[in-house]
Amino acid sequence: MSHFLDRLTYFRRDQSKFADGHGITTGESREWEDAYRKRWAADKIVRSTHGVNCTGSCSWKIYVKGGIVTWETQQTDYPRTRPDLPNHEPRGCPRGASYSWYLYSGTRIKYPLVRARLIRHWREARATMSPVAAWRSIVQDQAKRADWVKRRGRGGFVRAGWDEVNEIIAASNAYTIKEYGPDRVVGFSPIPAMSMVSYAAGSRYLSLLGGVLLSFYDWYCDLPPSSPQTWGEQTDVPESADWYNAGFLLVWGSNVPMTRAPDAHFYAEVRYRGAKSVVIAPDYNEAAKFSDMWLHPKQGTDAALALALGHVVLREFHLERQVPYFANYTRQYSDFPLLVTLVEQDGRLVPDRLLRAADLEGALGETNNPDWKAVGLDEISGELVAPLGSSGFRWGEQGKWNLEEKDGKGREVRLRLTLKDAHDAILPVAFPYFGGAAPHDFVATAHDQVLMRNLPVKEVPLADGRRVMVATVFDLFCANYGLDRGFGGENVATDYNQDLPFTPAWAEKVTGVPRQAIIQVAREFAANAEATNGRSMVILGAGLNHWYHMDMSYRGIISLLVMCGCIGQSGGGWSHYVGQEKLRPATGWLPLAFALDWSRPARQMNGTSFFYAHTDQWRYETLKPQEVLSPLAPPGNWSGAMIDYNVRAERMGWLPSAPQLQANPLDVGREIAASGRNPGEVVAERLKDGTLKMACHDPDNAQNWPRNMFFWRSNVLGASGKGHEYFLKHFVGSLHGVVGTDEGADIDRPQEVVWHEDAPVGKLDLMVNIDFRMSTTSVYSDIVLPTATWYEKHDLNTSDMHPFIHPLTAAVDPAWEARSDWDIFRGLAKTFSDIAPEVLGTEKDIVLSPILHDTPAELAQPYEPKDWGRGECDPVPGRTMPSVAIVERDYPQVYARFTSLGPALEKLGNGAKGITWNTEHEVDLLGKLNGAVLGGPTAGRPKINTDIDACETILMLAPETNGEVAVKAWNALSKTTGRSHHHLADGKEEEKIRFRDVVAQPRKIISSPIWSGLESETVCYNAGYTNVHELIPWRTLSGRQQLYQDHHWMRAFGEGFATWRPPIDTRSVAQALGKLPNGNKEILLNFLTPHQKWGIHSTYTENLIMLTLNRGGPAVWISEDDARAAGIVDNDWVEVFNINGALTARAIVSQRIMPGSMIMYHAQEKLVNTVGSEITGQRGGIHNSVTRINMKPTHMIGGYAHLAYGFNYYGTVGANRDEFIILRKMSEVNWFDKAADDAVPVEGIPTTPRVSQEAAE
Amino acid sequence: MRMTLRALAALLGYPSSDLLAHVREIGDAVAAERALPRAARRCLEPLLERLASGDLLDLQAEYSDLFDRSRALSLHLFEHVHGDSKERGQAMLDLGQRYLDQGFLLESKELPDFVPVFLEFASCLEPREAREMLRQPLHVFAALAERLDQRSSPYAGVFHAVVALAGARPDAATLDELRKKAPAEDASRLDDEWEEKPITFTRPAHEMGGPTGVAARVRATVKARAASREDANGDGGRS
Repeated sequence: MSHFLDRLTYFRRDQSKFADGHGITTGESREWEDAYRKRWAADKIVRSTHGVNCTGSCSWKIYVKGGIVTWETQQTDYPRTRPDLPNHEPRGCPRGASYSWYLYSGTRIKYPLVRARLIRHWREARATMSPVAAWRSIVQDQAKRADWVKRRGRGGFVRAGWDEVNEIIAASNAYTIKEYGPDRVVGFSPIPAMSMVSYAAGSRYLSLLGGVLLSFYDWYCDLPPSSPQTWGEQTDVPESADWYNAGFLLVWGSNVPMTRAPDAHFYAEVRYRGAKSVVIAPDYNEAAKFSDMWLHPKQGTDAALALALGHVVLREFHLERQVPYFANYTRQYSDFPLLVTLVEQDGRLVPDRLLRAADLEGALGETNNPDWKAVGLDEISGELVAPLGSSGFRWGEQGKWNLEEKDGKGREVRLRLTLKDAHDAILPVAFPYFGGAAPHDFVATAHDQVLMRNLPVKEVPLADGRRVMVATVFDLFCANYGLDRGFGGENVATDYNQDLPFTPAWAEKVTGVPRQAIIQVAREFAANAEATNGRSMVILGAGLNHWYHMDMSYRGIISLLVMCGCIGQSGGGWSHYVGQEKLRPATGWLPLAFALDWSRPARQMNGTSFFYAHTDQWRYETLKPQEVLSPLAPPGNWSGAMIDYNVRAERMGWLPSAPQLQANPLDVGREIAASGRNPGEVVAERLKDGTLKMACHDPDNAQNWPRNMFFWRSNVLGASGKGHEYFLKHFVGSLHGVVGTDEGADIDRPQEVVWHEDAPVGKLDLMVNIDFRMSTTSVYSDIVLPTATWYEKHDLNTSDMHPFIHPLTAAVDPAWEARSDWDIFRGLAKTFSDIAPEVLGTEKDIVLSPILHDTPAELAQPYEPKDWGRGECDPVPGRTMPSVAIVERDYPQVYARFTSLGPALEKLGNGAKGITWNTEHEVDLLGKLNGAVLGGPTAGRPKINTDIDACETILMLAPETNGEVAVKAWNALSKTTGRSHHHLADGKEEEKIRFRDVVAQPRKIISSPIWSGLESETVCYNAGYTNVHELIPWRTLSGRQQLYQDHHWMRAFGEGFATWRPPIDTRSVAQALGKLPNGNKEILLNFLTPHQKWGIHSTYTENLIMLTLNRGGPAVWISEDDARAAGIVDNDWVEVFNINGALTARAIVSQRIMPGSMIMYHAQEKLVNTVGSEITGQRGGIHNSVTRINMKPTHMIGGYAHLAYGFNYYGTVGANRDEFIILRKMSEVNWFDKAADDAVPVEGIPTTPRVSQEAAE
Repeated sequence: MRMTLRALAALLGYPSSDLLAHVREIGDAVAAERALPRAARRCLEPLLERLASGDLLDLQAEYSDLFDRSRALSLHLFEHVHGDSKERGQAMLDLGQRYLDQGFLLESKELPDFVPVFLEFASCLEPREAREMLRQPLHVFAALAERLDQRSSPYAGVFHAVVALAGARPDAATLDELRKKAPAEDASRLDDEWEEKPITFTRPAHEMGGPTGVAARVRATVKARAASREDANGDGGRS
């Protein structure tokens, strides 16, 4: 046979094997693959994200098939950044991946819902009356009003059409404005960065009415007040990619791998790069598993640990050996070299305030704001100098507000850090010590409450002829840390093993962390910073920030970072990731959100104080301000209850008020406008003579109740409402589970606030919730509006975890009757404008505003504050009391204004944080891009009709998304600093990001002076970067990082320097312990509510996919020891209660929990698998049922440069970690399958009136 | 049958003033068509009466409490068939496609598996086809009838009528399964409901109903075939 013919020329044999026999070819049917093809086939894939409470800001692909969203997967098209930096993607977590479940789930709200009893009365009245008259007739009829108010939380919803619900809401708003004033219409929505247009929709509507927006960051207790205290900045942090630049990572009270899942890969990656990681957490959390070393201090003692770390660093890196980088950094960028006056008080020398130029002869030649210019001792000339950068240089003059080492005359200066070699004397100075007493099982140490420590001081002659002793902050700082520097005296340590505050040996006693571990961590942290110029980073979070004395642990950590030169350095710094909120295009958003394009100022209120007053939690206050007062408080009248302090703060213009006056501001405005006089003068005069009162003096007066409440993008009653049961009782007026009473030895009656014997029940006339799911807040509302889900609307989304801006886009139209938030409020605006003329026209509204940070007014009260309410001074608007403005409201034009951009932007310019620029060009361009309004009262103005129009407005106006604006903004700042920052936006003029750009791919934002970090080709975003590298001052009194807080109230409450303060005693268990027995043993535990794995706050917690991944209902984690002591085994039903209320849950018994504490993950609602409480006789509450608001006077300070109010910037916070509870096994598990009316309540605490049924019918 | 199905679809919708105004008409139409046996017609009477005499807002509140707020009584068929599994989306699409194939566009904002939608579609089919259509989820209708009976709700009559119209008995086994996995009214059974079978690593994944069922089965087949081929070559196990 021929080999030639054996060969096939035109065919090839099908070979069954290939690849050396590793592969085979088979001929079987491959039909089964169709299952996959079908499964993964989609009609379209749309980019969106999850848009409220998760700040992960992850870009997702949403798959749509046949008009139905079928599933979602992570997007993987984030732009790459640069070589040597891992990619950002993929971002996302199991919670986000389960979101599409909500769209078609049973819990989805499909139609506008109204309480049947409300709509019945409404329809009856409306049959014969006009809308506002109809509302008036039913709301003024107490029986009718009670009919729906008392039904709240107990079902009875019916569907209604949009037209009808809009009319009810609009009529209620109009009536309330006419009857009580626009500041009785209130709205709450959080974290705008995550869906900024949806937030802006409601806030724009409310702002056009003159309604009140409540802040959330402080209310959530996610705001770290230590940040404004130190930096004059709300919160600015490194993006997560910057973790990768760190050499040493301290992860402290933050559980990054679990709660920041999309970012955690940078944490994993940097360890492969050689970074060391130490995790500090009381429980063995997920982060602990990543650590090289895990420290587990007793919960709540972190400040003690931070102080001991600082003690070691100061000793070894500043005193025994002075690291040049650390010395230079702190000299230029911190208040270390500034001088503090020392005053004699009860025979002791006490640190007072920063010395000011105005104190000295000729004010050191400073004529502009010498009261606000700090002073240091110049090493070169030996003279006292006022270095550049103080807030006094920021306002009233230009070109000198920078951190160059010069004084106001342009001389080079080199400030002395210590007076060690330039002192007049060594004198003992007094420091407060609070660790001598501690509640519950926290360790108290045997040290005096005043500790005298020697330090070098200098005598300085003052302009008024007096002589005063001064010391540098650094010398005081070292003394505060208890370091012996050879100046003799007591209370200072030479050895780490001495039991003196704040040595490692002392901290070992308080925290339980071995001293060797403390010393090692401190050394390694600082040594790394020394070797890398500051690449040591602390990631910290809610585990620390939610304690009452959060400022102490935070400032202890900040001190550590500043003394090691880590702030503002790549890979270093303070990484606070709690409720992080970076609305990057802020200056584009602010005018849209608060209708600043039409009228200014907007009404903004701090959430915590608002809810404290209006949910009547002040009536139950057991914490007396005197308990937290320093033994070294300056002389003065420090009496009063907590709410008295808040009232004083409102009166002095420190904190805002809502409502503001015990009068309708429209009536006051009309009178003043008619008189033609200056509104500020009139209001001040009438406040002084008592013919006009501030509403804060009588929050329970029916005239001062908030009447209409809008909740959207939030769940106050199911997640954030500290003092849940008090909300239900007084604010909502529903059945509630408050166990205690407002009487008793623990409770002081206030001095400044009217006490009504019968506390109001059910203050709200109308409660509206806007949500896509039947949350707890929905359940209690009168009207529930179905909103579009995050896959059904257009919006924008930014985060501080990464530098990209990306959108939410509508993959499908809103299902059923749902509408986007923008459409909901636009529709409401339309209806309101139509019916308003019945009672409202063009009105004059008197608006009070607190003294605002980042405005020239922040330089209001340089020295000891005076209270006009106590007759200490005269009320002067904007100086000693709130400023007063008269704002014109054109109520029939609300809709026209809502849907167009107003003229105030051209007139007043745009900007934020003290920087203003002309923005005429952008307004003009926007008119061309969005189109202009054709006719009517707003003819010619740029249109903002749709949500996309609103997105374009934001993108056009903001420097972060419009390079041309960025250039203008940097140039504006250059004028103030006298340094050219133009190079930071060079070449960006032509870069303009539009909505469709971000739909195509996430875009990196442009660097802007609104933020302190840069996004460049060389560095990741890092907070404080431009302060350090561009010499732009921090926005504090001194322009430097302020480790010493010299405000009068700060010193009064013992927080001039960071110190150790044990948790407070909330007094919520003693009265209830053993009083309501069920036969099982009761134990006391500290109640902790960290963030969870299976939900983002309350969202996803009733999502069945997530429920199957955990216990599937309310659960609390306890230690094996405590479980044994209480006779509890895993999965037992337990009750958790105190005088605030009760909750029921299953027990998870785990080795990871430290005895004495209990974890209940935030936030578990009472919607899923919650059994009845044996205490309240109702369904078990939520985690917040056992909490109550605890406010702190130092958070009320205002009118003082960096300590001046800003919305979500400074104010009282909702701390709740100090709470204790009683835990016991339940004896009877009652599922309460019957309706609430049939439920039989159990007896309350004997001797107290029946508590839970007051509101029942 | 056509009018009866239309009537049932209407009765199961959210009570409106329009519906209330036509209750008598609906009753008459059902009686006139005689598609339902008398017993089933009697079952409808309580609902007709309730709708004829009740207050609209009360009726709406009852409807919402009954159907909008519980999984066990969901009026979406696939809630009962697929629950929260991934198959639900595809099933919904297939059903929607079925409507389209017959030339019906779903105009309202409802989902394809909403029972009134389903019944209305059936009403547009030939009786034989309609019956066949109704029989597919018959166990769901039967279970809903039972559950509504337990609550003494007049709405039970609608589902009894649907079962009667289908002219078949629901498959006892599937109905029983549905009863067992009913979203428990008895909350103490919730744990059982969500408990998953333990995983054993010695059995193929698809036998345990894992999500990789198809792939695992294919792999098992290929493996088996390859093994038999190797055996045929006679050198199995030695290479």
